[in-house]
Amino acid sequence: MKSNSAGERAYQIAIHLIVLLVAASAVFPLLYVIGMSLTTKSEMIARDYFVIVPHAPTLEAYKRIMSSSVIWHSFVVSVLRSTVGPLLTLTLTAIGAYVLAQRTLPGRGIFLFFILATILFNGGLIPTYLVVKQTGLIDSFWSMILPIMVDSFGLLVIKIFIENLPDGLTESARIDGAGDWSMLWRIVLPLAAPALAAIGLFNLVAHWNSWFDALLYLNDKSMYPLQMVLKNMLTIDSVSGDSMNAMLKTSQSISTETLKMAAVVVGIIPVLCVYPFLQKHFAKGMYMGSVKG
Amino acid sequence: MAQPVPAAPSVPAPEAPAAEVTLWRRIVRHRMLYLMFLPVAVYYIVFRYWPIGLAWIVAFKDLKLGMGVLDSAWVGLDNFRVMFEDPEIVNVLRNTVEISLLRIVVGFFPPIILAIMFHDLSSGRLKKWLQSAVYIPHFFSWVIIFGIVFAFFSTGTGFVNNVLEAMGLPRVEFFLSEGWFRPILIGSALWKEIGWSTIIYLAALSTIDAQLYEAARIDGAGPIRRIFAVTLPGILSVVTFVLCLSLGNILFAGGEQILLFYNKAVLDTADVIETWVYREGLSRLQFSVGTAVGLFQSLIGMVVILAGNTLAKRYTGRGIW
Repeated sequence: MKSNSAGERAYQIAIHLIVLLVAASAVFPLLYVIGMSLTTKSEMIARDYFVIVPHAPTLEAYKRIMSSSVIWHSFVVSVLRSTVGPLLTLTLTAIGAYVLAQRTLPGRGIFLFFILATILFNGGLIPTYLVVKQTGLIDSFWSMILPIMVDSFGLLVIKIFIENLPDGLTESARIDGAGDWSMLWRIVLPLAAPALAAIGLFNLVAHWNSWFDALLYLNDKSMYPLQMVLKNMLTIDSVSGDSMNAMLKTSQSISTETLKMAAVVVGIIPVLCVYPFLQKHFAKGMYMGSVKG
Repeated sequence: MAQPVPAAPSVPAPEAPAAEVTLWRRIVRHRMLYLMFLPVAVYYIVFRYWPIGLAWIVAFKDLKLGMGVLDSAWVGLDNFRVMFEDPEIVNVLRNTVEISLLRIVVGFFPPIILAIMFHDLSSGRLKKWLQSAVYIPHFFSWVIIFGIVFAFFSTGTGFVNNVLEAMGLPRVEFFLSEGWFRPILIGSALWKEIGWSTIIYLAALSTIDAQLYEAARIDGAGPIRRIFAVTLPGILSVVTFVLCLSLGNILFAGGEQILLFYNKAVLDTADVIETWVYREGLSRLQFSVGTAVGLFQSLIGMVVILAGNTLAKRYTGRGIW
């Protein structure tokens, strides 16, 4: 594919430049936010809040955040929902997909229809809220888990994956007298593990990033996940600036902006930690993301 | 096959010949599978179909706080009449369509162009690194995105305003300006998703036969000519497919993002169905009108997706199912 004509070289230089620019624009905001989060108040004022690389970096904002019980508490809630949620989702998805992949099962078509239909149509915000209320989940940790426990699309993806497993494997196990549970556990799960891992990881990130369900279903602020606390720290007409003020009160050395940016970094770091693992599954993510939009 | 049919068997047939395996027997034989499926079925009934059922009831009733769904009065199509007569809701519907159309128009071509450039990059290793970089923002929550946008566009300390001031220009109140709200909203969404949206195109590009490029090259086609002669025809069906599907979002304008970005000053241009249903329907207890608006949104969404899928199938031979 190598070519030495001037046109080819000019084209390569142009697209290299443009793509580099796009990539830089994806990364620069993060570096800027990190820079801001490390800047002292005096430097902010001296440099008119125009700081990209701080001259005298300080970890004061992170110390403030780490010493806040509100943040720690919400961090624990987020870690809990990002582990319990995906585990339950994976369990139900694996079992459901296994059942739906059995071609001889009477009623399979009806089940599939009702599952597919939920991708196209849903009850909407208020009816869902009413159901969460009627099931007694308001102000419960489980309001952030149960309503989104099965993702129809993930279920169908795994079902197709199981259907495409070589028949020979399952048949020989059947002849050996394996029941459905041992078939699922010993044969299907190990083979479907990569696909399930992809679903689990994307689900984990979705749980980590989620805040709207907490806004809807939780009045009790002690149940808030990290993203909700960050939201309250960041949004303009913030109702509960109290935790922010409490964090700032004892420190004159950093500004509100620095604290906000440190909060953003705290929200990003766990995602960046999972990112290398996510990368392996981008191809499948495309498969899911492309249709989910 | 051609062998003569044997004489009628004198032995009585075994209990259940294959043809007589009734549906009931098949169900009984699969009982363990149904048992396994039970939790999934319960989930779908409680958290997916119960809300759908409620939606169809509450939208035609006048549900008030403290009143059960069953006790509240039927009001026919009143809630829908309110929806099309209340100027605030009509404005919300208009905003929703405008913002989602803007999102589709602005967000459509950049990922295609970026994907083609990634595809044509000659350096493999660098390409991997750059791809990893542009995918990252997709995985940030809208809260985080708002924090980053705030760092760049806030009036007092934002990066962009600092640059404007350094250039001798006045600072702009981006978040309070009706004119700036939508560009900021759609621009930041493009920033978040441009990289991730290339993935479906990159998958399609990787299936184009390399020999076609070689042939085009031998015919003397330069890099730009090759894009129009080989690359674009190669991904046209996927491009059409994505366009048809994105039309299904015509009444979904990204409420989660707007809820974080908007404020009273920009309400007239920013308010969409999702934000209105949350703020007025749920928080201000207009349950029934809110449900009616949600039902309308869901119904139209479904019709448009089905139509888009039909279109996609007709023109590209590829659909969601």
